[in-house]
Amino acid sequence: MTDRIREQMSALLDGELPRDEMGLLVRRLERDEHLRRAFGNYVLAGEALRSPSGPLASAGFAARVSAAIDAGTVDATPVPVAQPERARWVRPTLATAVAASAAVVAVLLVKPAVQETAVVAGGAVQQAQRAFALASLPIVAESSPTPAHSQRLAGYLMAHSQFAGAIGRRNVWSSVLASDPGITRVSYEFAETP
Amino acid sequence: MKPVANFPPSDGSMQTQEPRDAEPRPASGVEQSDLELVRRAQRGERGAFDLLVLRYQHKVVKLVARLLRDPTEAEDVAQEAFVKAYRALASFRGDSAFYTWLYRIAVNTARNAMASRQRRPLDYEADLSETEQSAVASRMSHSDTPEATVLSDEIHATVNRAVAELPEDLRTAIILREIEGLSYEEIAAAMDCPVGTVRSRIFRAREAIDRNLKPLLD
Repeated sequence: MTDRIREQMSALLDGELPRDEMGLLVRRLERDEHLRRAFGNYVLAGEALRSPSGPLASAGFAARVSAAIDAGTVDATPVPVAQPERARWVRPTLATAVAASAAVVAVLLVKPAVQETAVVAGGAVQQAQRAFALASLPIVAESSPTPAHSQRLAGYLMAHSQFAGAIGRRNVWSSVLASDPGITRVSYEFAETP
Repeated sequence: MKPVANFPPSDGSMQTQEPRDAEPRPASGVEQSDLELVRRAQRGERGAFDLLVLRYQHKVVKLVARLLRDPTEAEDVAQEAFVKAYRALASFRGDSAFYTWLYRIAVNTARNAMASRQRRPLDYEADLSETEQSAVASRMSHSDTPEATVLSDEIHATVNRAVAELPEDLRTAIILREIEGLSYEEIAAAMDCPVGTVRSRIFRAREAIDRNLKPLLD
């Protein structure tokens, strides 16, 4: 039994082991340290035959490599499982399909909300526009003078200035200018003219 | 030695690229066997990768030792190359032979080691404390010590002696396989015997050599 396995191992080393016998042998070698050592010795003998001198890997080299891989795989990227040939194009296609579906669902879900938001936003805009229009209108207070009022007021001021003292005249002018800017220019011209 | 202008990046990104042969050639039995082991390792069978390490450990250590010109680091660098190869194994597609890909990684790892050695201060070892010197000594690879050199010489002598003592049919089969690199079918044609007999003869030759090696290695 062991001889048969070791002969398989020898054939494996030469690349002459049938593929269907390889799986079981690899699993056996993984478990059996004596078999692995024998495999290592077969390799060593071949190497020593081919080159009469030169450095050889030490006896524990392969075990150290294995330990280093084990130590590294705790925090390093493990070897991913190879995908079959079919998966080379299937996987990206599936990924694209899933991404596209997700995008469509997202659009359908988001669209009503966007519309509601647009309505709300539109209403707000209309209100804001209305408020802006109101704010832009000229404020016409009932107390604001018309040209006729201004003429009357100017006449009154002329009459007042003829009979009032300098201080009183200035006080009346100041109060008029402060209370009604609409007649500023007219009043000032009237004041300078005489 | 100065690093070359087109020095490979130290992140190993170049090391996983597979060189493509100009013309595809039929893969040998060993290459097909390697590929099968790689596929198994890619599927998570660690034992398959361990076999690849066992198969190529001496070749990689020898290659790295020659490149470094200082064999004290050969096993450390070779180990790093195997670990890199394992981590990059998923990217191996089989466009080239596995050993070509592995040697490429080993060459780049050795170059990186040489570049990092150049960046070290020259009086690095002179400044080491006794404890640090001891740590460095313990890190020296086994194959660099005088004992290892003697052992290596003994291994070579033992193997050659064991082969010389083999019966002629076993000796011819193992020499045609190991030194000439013939396939079982070619050896069968040369020795005028069935392929199964070749397989058995090579196995028995290896077992005889192993019996001679065991006392030396144990």
